[in-house]
Amino acid sequence: MHELSMADAIVKTVLDAAEKNQAEEILEVTIEIGKLTMLNPEQLRFLLEVLTEDTLLEGADIIIEEIPVKIKCNNCDYTGSTNLDDSDHYLMIVKCPECDERNLEVITGQECNVKNIRIEKPE
Amino acid sequence: MHKIAEVEIQHDIMVANKKIAQRNQRMLDKAGVFTVDVLGAIGSGKTSLIEILIQKMNHKIGVIAGDVISKFDAGRFQKYDIPVIGLNTGKECHLDAHLVEHAFQDLPLKEIDLLFVENVGNLICPVDFDLGSHMRMVVVSVTEGDDTVEKHPLIFKDADLVVINKIDIAEAVGADEEKMANDAKMLNPDVEVIKSSLKTGEGVKEIIKAIEDFMK
Ligand SMILES: Nc1nc2c(ncn2[C@@H]2O[C@H](COP(=O)(O)OP(=O)(O)OP(=O)(O)O)[C@@H](O)[C@H]2O)c(=O)[nH]1
Ligand SMILES: [Mg+2]
Ligand SMILES: [Zn+2]
Repeated sequence: MHELSMADAIVKTVLDAAEKNQAEEILEVTIEIGKLTMLNPEQLRFLLEVLTEDTLLEGADIIIEEIPVKIKCNNCDYTGSTNLDDSDHYLMIVKCPECDERNLEVITGQECNVKNIRIEKPE
Repeated sequence: MHKIAEVEIQHDIMVANKKIAQRNQRMLDKAGVFTVDVLGAIGSGKTSLIEILIQKMNHKIGVIAGDVISKFDAGRFQKYDIPVIGLNTGKECHLDAHLVEHAFQDLPLKEIDLLFVENVGNLICPVDFDLGSHMRMVVVSVTEGDDTVEKHPLIFKDADLVVINKIDIAEAVGADEEKMANDAKMLNPDVEVIKSSLKTGEGVKEIIKAIEDFMK
C-alpha cells in the first residue's frame, strides 16, 4: 500500500522538528498508527529504517503504537470499541455492537501521527 | 555538555491531508465547481463512464485523470476538447489532497462547473485521503467478482453513489450484481446504488440524475 509515501512524510516531519529544536541526535521517535488505516506497521518500520539512512534519524528507536478503533453509534450513542476480533477489524465499523445500527462514526483508528521525539541537544 | 529532551510533535499526516482537502473544497466552492471523486477497482469502467458523462451531461465539464502513467486516461479525455489535467501518480497507489491542489490551481476553473477526478484504480488506498471533492462515486464491475463489495467495506461506507458496472457480462463471469448492490446497501444504507452497462447504456440516465440531484 502507501507505506512509502507515509514513511517519507513521517521522516520529513521528524527531521523538521529535530532541526527546529537544535537536535544533534535523535534517540527515539514515537508514531501512532490507527488500526483502520491501510498501513502495515512492520512494513512502515522497515521503510523508515531505509529512508533514515544517513540522516539524523539513523539508528533512532522507532516506537509504533497502534491505536485501536473506537466508534460512536448515531442511534443509541454507544461509544467505544467493538467485540470483533482482529481479523475482522474492518467489520467493526459496520454495525453497532449494542443495537446493530449501521450509522456509525469512527472516532479513533484513522491516525498516522508523529507523536514525539527524544533528542540530544546542546545544554 | 548535552542534555536529553523530549519534544512533542503531534503532527498527524492524515489530519494534514484533511486540512488541505478542506482548503481545496473552499477554493472549489468559491469558483462554483462541483467536484466528483471517481474511485474504483482497476478497469472497472471509470474512464469509460466519465467519457459518456462528458457527452451526455449538459455541463461545462473538466477532468483530472490520476493514473500510474497519466498519459493514457488523460489522452482519452482530451479528444472531447474540455479542460483535462493528467496526474502521474507513478509509484503511488492513490491521489492525495496536495497532489490535486496543484491540478485545481492549474485548471481554468471559471470555465468549469462540474469536475471529475478519476483516482488510481484501487479500492483500498484512496479511502484514507480526502481530496476536497463534494461527492464520492465508486465504480466497481461484476468482473471483479461479486464479493468485491463486502471485501472492501471502507470505500463503500464513505461513498455517495455506487455504480455496479458491466452487468451486460454478469452472467458470463458468473457474478450476481444483485448481491453486490445489496452488500453496498448493507454497508451504507443511505447510499444510492445503480447497476449499469456502459455497453448497452443501461443505468446511465440514473447515474446522471443522481449526480444532478447531488449538485442541487
Ligand atoms: N462489457 C463491458 N465492458 C465495459 C463496460 N464498461 C467498461 N468496459 C470496458 O472495460 C475496460 C476498462 O474500462 P476503463 O474505462 O478503461 O476502466 P478504468 O476503470 O478507467 O480503468 P483504470 O483507469 O485502468 O483503472 C475497457 O475495455 C472498457 O471498454 C461495460 O459496462 N460492459
Ligand atoms: Mg481509467
Ligand atoms: Zn447503537
